[in-house]
Order: sequence, then C-alpha cells, then structure tokens
Amino acid sequence: MKDQIEKYIGKLLADRSAAPGAIAIAAQDDVLIASGNPELAKLAGNTLSRLNSLALVVARPSLPFAEFLIKRAGKGESFILPQDTETRTFLHDIPFLRREEVSGDAAPELARLLGSRKGVIVEGVGIVAVGAITVEQAFINYSSVFHSTFVKYLQDLLSEGFKLPGEREAFESFKNEWLRPLSAEGLHFRDSLSLNKEEILDEIERVGRYTVERGLVDSFFGNISAQAGELIYISQTAASLDELRGCIDPVPADNSSTTGITASSELLAHRKIFEETGARVILHGHPKFAVIMSMLCDRKKECAIKDCWKECPHVRDLGGTPVVAGEIGAGGLAKRVPPVIGASGSAIVYGHGVFTLGRTGFAEAFKSMVDVENFCREEYFRQLETKA
Amino acid sequence: MFGWTGKLLHVDLTSGTCERREIPTEILHAYLGGRGLGVRLMREYFRLDPFDPQMPLIFAVGPLCGTNSPTAARLACVSRSPLTGTIYDCSAGGRFAWRLKAAGLDAVFITGKSVKPSVLSIDGDRAEIVAAGELWGKGVRETVAALKERGSVTAIGPAGENGVLFANIMMGEGNSIGRGGLGAVMGAKLLKAITVQGEGTTGTADRERFDAARADVMRLFRASPVIFGELGIAEYGTPALVDLMAQRRMAPTENFKSTFFAQSANYSGPAIRKECGARKEGCYGCPIQCKKASAKGEPLPEYETVNHFGALNGISDLHAIVKANTLCNELGLDTISAAATLSAFGEARGRFPDPAEVDRLLSDIAFRRGDGELLSLGSRRAAESLGKAGLSMSVKSLELPAYDPRGAYGMALAYVTSNRGGCHLRAYPISHEILRKPVPTDRFSFSGKARIIKIAEDVNAAVDSLVACKFAFFGATLEEYGELLSAVTGVEYGPEQLKEIGERIYLTERFYNCANGFSMKDDLLPERFYTEPGSAGEGIEIPPLDRGRFQEELQKYYRIRGLTPDGTFADASFLQKLP
Ligand code: SF4
Ligand SMILES: [Zn+2]
Ligand SMILES: [Zn+2]
Repeated sequence: MKDQIEKYIGKLLADRSAAPGAIAIAAQDDVLIASGNPELAKLAGNTLSRLNSLALVVARPSLPFAEFLIKRAGKGESFILPQDTETRTFLHDIPFLRREEVSGDAAPELARLLGSRKGVIVEGVGIVAVGAITVEQAFINYSSVFHSTFVKYLQDLLSEGFKLPGEREAFESFKNEWLRPLSAEGLHFRDSLSLNKEEILDEIERVGRYTVERGLVDSFFGNISAQAGELIYISQTAASLDELRGCIDPVPADNSSTTGITASSELLAHRKIFEETGARVILHGHPKFAVIMSMLCDRKKECAIKDCWKECPHVRDLGGTPVVAGEIGAGGLAKRVPPVIGASGSAIVYGHGVFTLGRTGFAEAFKSMVDVENFCREEYFRQLETKA
Repeated sequence: MFGWTGKLLHVDLTSGTCERREIPTEILHAYLGGRGLGVRLMREYFRLDPFDPQMPLIFAVGPLCGTNSPTAARLACVSRSPLTGTIYDCSAGGRFAWRLKAAGLDAVFITGKSVKPSVLSIDGDRAEIVAAGELWGKGVRETVAALKERGSVTAIGPAGENGVLFANIMMGEGNSIGRGGLGAVMGAKLLKAITVQGEGTTGTADRERFDAARADVMRLFRASPVIFGELGIAEYGTPALVDLMAQRRMAPTENFKSTFFAQSANYSGPAIRKECGARKEGCYGCPIQCKKASAKGEPLPEYETVNHFGALNGISDLHAIVKANTLCNELGLDTISAAATLSAFGEARGRFPDPAEVDRLLSDIAFRRGDGELLSLGSRRAAESLGKAGLSMSVKSLELPAYDPRGAYGMALAYVTSNRGGCHLRAYPISHEILRKPVPTDRFSFSGKARIIKIAEDVNAAVDSLVACKFAFFGATLEEYGELLSAVTGVEYGPEQLKEIGERIYLTERFYNCANGFSMKDDLLPERFYTEPGSAGEGIEIPPLDRGRFQEELQKYYRIRGLTPDGTFADASFLQKLP
C-alpha cells in the first residue's frame, strides 16, 4: 500500500492539482499508514480510522478556487453544487466546512461528512476525498472535486465577477503562471494507423499519456478508441488515460461477443461515430474550459427547458465546434454527438467534455482537442474581460 | 412510520396458528429488513438443527419494497442451511416480495411442522394454513398454476419435499431462493407453498427527495456499461459474462481441472439471444430486467448455470443446458450445486455425464433414487463417501460458482470468508476485479484485499437488508441508496451508517457460525487451487494460489474484523451488546 500512496502523491504533483508540500494520503489495511505533509497526514489518519473505507487524500489544491467558493457562498450554506456532469453523476454536491467550524480536531466532523459524500472542502485545509476500496479511488475523488470546483468557480466568475479581496490577483496569477500553453507541438503520432493490433494498442496508449502529460485533461474520465476492420479497440471503463496498458478492449463491431462489457460506457457513442463518419480514431476527454464554455447559453432566460445538460435540443456553436446536450452511457449523448461531429471533426457535450476524430490517425484528433480547448480558453478570457 | 409496516406474521405450523406481531422499531432501524432482520430474528434459534421443527424459516422484505426504488422489490429468506450448517440467507426477486409488503408485512416467520402437507395463504390482513391436497409431489410449475388465484406464489418442488440438501424455494415467476437448501427446510415443515396478495401501499416520507435520489440512481445505471451498456446485463443477462470469463481464463471447466472451455461461445450471451430468441424479463418493477426468457416464456439460465452445466461438465450443447436449467426449476433444485455435484461425481468415476444422463440424474436427485440418493447430499458428502473428498469443489460444503478463484484473488478470499460458504455474492469482488466497478483492482494481487473484502461484505449485508439487487451496485452506490432510504423512511441513513449496519449483520452471522463450531479450519479452499494451475492463454497465466500469501491475507482479515487468529470471537457476550 505504501507504493500506492507514493504513486498517487506523485500523480497529484504531476497533474499540478495539489500544492507541493501540502499533500497527505492515508490508507488502512490491517494497520493504518499515513504519509506526506505531517500535519495533513495526521488529519488524514485520524479521519480515515473513523471510516469503513480504505484510503483518504487530504491536500491543498494548487489553486484557491475551492476556498473562494466557500467564501462566496451565502451564510448558512453548507455545500456547493457545481453543474458539470462529473459532479451531477458521481459527487451530487460537495459539502464544505468553514474555518470557524473546525477549531480543534477536524477529524470527527470530517468523518461525519465523508460518511455520506466522496469529497469535502475544508477552509484553510483543502480538499479531503475518500476511496472506499482503493487509494486510486481517493485520488479520483480528489481530482473530481478539484475539477468541479475549478469549473464552478470560473463559471461563477463569469456570471458574477470578482467579489472578494485578493480574488483578482489570484486569478491573474492562475492565468499567467498556473496555466500553460496547450499544444500538440513536438508530439509523435503515426500518420496512418495500420490494422496491426500491437501498433493500435501502442498508439492508443501513447495518445492517452500525451493528453494527460500535456495538461489537456485529467487522467481518468475520458476514453479513446480506434476502428480496425471488424473490431473497435476502446479503452476500458474506469481506466486512467495515462495508464492504458492492458486496459484496451477489442470489441467485435457486430456484437458477436460480450468481452467488451468492461469497455467504456461510451462504446455505443464511439460505434455510432465510426459508422456515421468513417473516422479511424476517436478521442474523448474533459478539458476544463470546454466544459465551462459549453454551459453558457444566451437563451437560458427565455428557454423553458431546465435540464439543459440532457434535454437541450439546440445545437450551439463554439468556434465552429458544435455543442450538444446528452447524458453519459445509455443516455442521449450517443444519439446527439454522432450526427454533428462529422463536419468539424469535433463536438462538445454540455457540461461534460469533448469528442474529436482522426480520419487516419491520432494527430488530427489530438490537435482538434487542443484547438477546441484553446478556443474555449481564449473565449473565456475574452468574455470575462468584456464583463469586467 | 414510513417504509416499514412494523408487522411480522408469526406462523406456527404445529399448532396451525397465524398471528400478527409488532417488530420493535429499534430492531428495524438497526437491521433494516431482509437479511438483517431475518438474521436478527434467528438469535434464539440458530443452534437448532436445520430440520428441527422449531427452526424458523423467515421471509423478510425491506423498507424500500413497495416504493419504486430501482431493484428493491426483493426479499431475503433466512434460516439455517442443511447443506452447510451455517446461518443462511438468500435474496430473491419476483412479485412475491412486493405483495407481501402490500399485505402489510415486513416479515413472515414460519416455525413448527404441519401434520399434513399444507399451504400458507396470506390475503391482506387474513392468513390461513390450508391443506396442500394433491399438490404434494407436484412440480413447481403445476403448483404455481394451481395456486395463482390466491396471488403470488412461492413453492417447493419434489426436491424440497424429499429433503435434497440443495433444494431451492422457487418464486412463481421463475426466480429462486437458491443455494443452501432452504427448500428442504420448507419441505421438512411439510409446507408446499406460500401465497400472498395485498392492497396496501408503502408511504414515502419525502417525495421530492425520493425523486431526486431515484434520478441519481438511474443516471448511474445509464453510465454503467455493465448495466445498460450495449453488451451489458440488461441486454444479455448475466450470460454476458461467458465471453469475459473465457477471455480472462477463469471459467471453471471439468470440475475446476481447467479454466477455459473452447466451446463456451455456444452458450454466450449473443448465442443465447440468437438461438433462444431471448427477451427481457426481470424482477418486479426493476428497470434493469436482467433475466431473460425464451420466445415461449421459458426462463433462460444465468451465467453460473450455463457455465456449470456447460464447461464444468464438458457439455457444449446450449439446448441441453437450457433444458437442465428448466428441469432444475421444475424440480426445485439449485442449478449451481446440482451441476457442480454432477461434475464432482463425474470426475470421481472418470466420466462426466452427457446431456441425457444429466436429465436422468437430476430427476434421480430430486426423488432420491439410484445414484441420486447419494448426490442429493451435495458434492462434499458425495465425494467423501466415494472416498475422493478432494473432488468436492466447495467451501463449507457449498459448491463454488463459476468464478475460478485462481483468476481473482479477492474472490479466492471472499469464498472462504463468506458466512454461507462458497458463494460469489457476499463480497462480490468480481465487481472490481473483473468488471472494474466502482474502480478496478488487480485481480492477481492480494494486496489490500483483506480490507476490501471486509468492506464489501459490510456493504452487501446492508444491500441484502434494504433489500436491493447487487447488480444495481455496478452503477449506484450506498450514497444514492442511503438517500432513497432516508427519503422513504424519514430516518437519516448515510453510507457509513449503512456499512455499520452491514458489519453488525455480518458479525452476527459469523458469531452464530462460530457458536456452531465453525472457525478457521472451515475457511478453506479445496486443495486443487493451491496445487494445480488453471488454463493459460492470450498472454494470461493462471498459476496455483500461493498458500502462504493466502493465509497471511486471511489472518489480516481476521484482525480487521476483530476476530481471534482462529477466526473466532474472543468475547462470548458479543450478541448481548447489539440491539
Ligand atoms: S437486475 Fe435483474 S436480478 Fe436484479 S432486480 Fe433487476 S431483474 Fe432482478
Ligand atoms: Zn466523458
Ligand atoms: Zn437551452
């Protein structure tokens, strides 16, 4: 279990979601171990020992957005409710504790909140997330909270502007220092993918790693596929994009075998996109600015539809990329994305993420995703500026 | 009170009385219903012999039953198993559970022994014991048909009447209360069937909260490839696992001598759909509808059944497998134990049975004639009396289902720690070791598995007490089910509290077992798994289990559970401290 703790501390540093020196992970087998920042490790251990779960992450996020969300929340509020798909589906809401609620030992109160939620935010401490059965699961939940609070804060900023002292400065430093330019420069892709299994697996694996290394997406939640004759090679459900070795299922295009029952929940969407567009490969991930921008709709006021994320029938547009609504898996996404993705080679799903195509290989798909995210990023800053 | 009815029907077959009694609210709050409630109600009885007339046979529904909580129209049947000698519970769907709740009951507690074969008939507030007449001796289908005017039916077949140690109780719709031989317990009471109808409804404390929680559950179902994916169980039923287990090299074959059966594609999910025109069926009100039936309405076999009548006996003919399944349903036999017992018998005598012989032997088992007399005792007793004890692939006498423990180490551990013997549904590590839900774990590693198994056993004890279906948890979690429960009952339950309840139930069961003499010596896998490899292929090796590492992890498990190194309780007054 020690190796797992090391691994995920490393991942939190590599993806820059947590602040160096302010990370701790606890795990319990027959004994409890906690490692990382000593003070946080103590809190992690004390909290986890009160829970019937295997692992816990306590870390200060590398960005103060979660803190700001707490400060911006009204008196008497005790949770935030981000609107992105990740929160809606897996987290529901994110409870928080204010500084004054955690004088003394925070562990009992934290354990109580984590008794019914996967992650919570503690003012002055950071994000605390629990993994019921693995350390990885605690890491995933931490990252989900990080992602959701990132998305919600930037969304709120766009609609309400800066409100707190220090907010604007923090935002400037986020924009100028934390964010790095996104590009596909210097990456190597096979120009045209052959039908060779090893080559396909190798390429999918590599592309997955690139998406995370380049900071385009978080490592889990997302999927990648390639079509090869009678087979679709697709990443498995709950696989990390940067660790796809051994996690790619070959699925017969005619459903003659069910080994692909472990394939990504978006298998159907991928299958239909292949059918509809003749593409060779598909890349799907959740780049944050695309998620934020996909939820902006100028018709919100007059529109009768309230569940926009799944019901909106309109196809909107972000820099030439169509934006559609649709739920994960057996929801509407598999219906709405395939008809619109062909023309531009990319599509955005409301509050969820981006799908892109490659007609011969992954270079095109990767570059499209970078372009979509860059457009959304620029557009976000432009709109924020216009507002301010 | 919302959710629960607070009522139990106490039936004494000896005196012929039926009486409604209150169930204390604290007991309901602390044990929920289903398995938990049943196990709690066994506290004064668990030492009795399973065939002692005073041994209770308990049917218990849960607080969600009667609402449209997804997959919750289920019940648990609890007693002591004549096959394993352990406390025993089984979860089953069908209309019966929902009707029982509509009759205003959380549980039926049946004790005593009737003088003549009888039927318990519940109709709203009324309950009576009526003579079974000529139904005794009849198959399940005919029995159900004869009683259907009286509402939902649960019945035993000849196997239960004749005391076959792995006789099922069958639900009228084809679901079964399976494995541990509770059909024989019912048969020993000379109770042929129970019928129930009722008109009551289950109130919900907070409708809005309930609707939100239900929407959350449904969203997770849609996001789960195993549930609603195009290759998932809603489409193909559990035989969707056939191809996967073959690919993973963990499909038990020829009495677990190997783990790959070249002809398994003959009975895969897509093959069954094609050959039998499978259409969707399922438990009452369940949105998943994972059960499949043929165009003629004949219930089609589950994954464990196709593998065990298939690979385990070296049979590749789908229609023969479907027929064996139908025959078991009709006779009231557990398919897994029946097929595994035939397989052990086959290996012992050097020849696995062919389809015609399977049919004949199944009937012989149910009527206890010829070889069937011996085989009706299950594989452990049969193998022992044939002088080949090692050929029974069972734990605590319960035959192992279709997940080879050499291919998933959590499963290996879970088989031995299961309170009802070799069962895949207690910790159900297949969920993460193979199906990657909620997150994947390394199936060839013991690391962390002791804790994972312990947590999962607690979770599933709660799930079995709600009573929800395990398949729901390939998508949803206790977070959403806790919300449903809080919304229905108006009592706050979060996942941690539910796990605590699960732990209480699990430990109670283990305590009963230990009091009846179970300990580490019974937490054992058959020798074969430590000494023989499975079938390698597609770059996968299936070596024998490392016994040392296995034992080490088992000791960890005992420590995590707070048990002694012998797997028992240090505190003899353990039960007295529980509600
Ligand atoms: S998923 Fe299948 S077994 Fe479970 S409740 Fe639904 S129909 Fe019944
Ligand atoms: Zn996605
Ligand atoms: Zn709209």
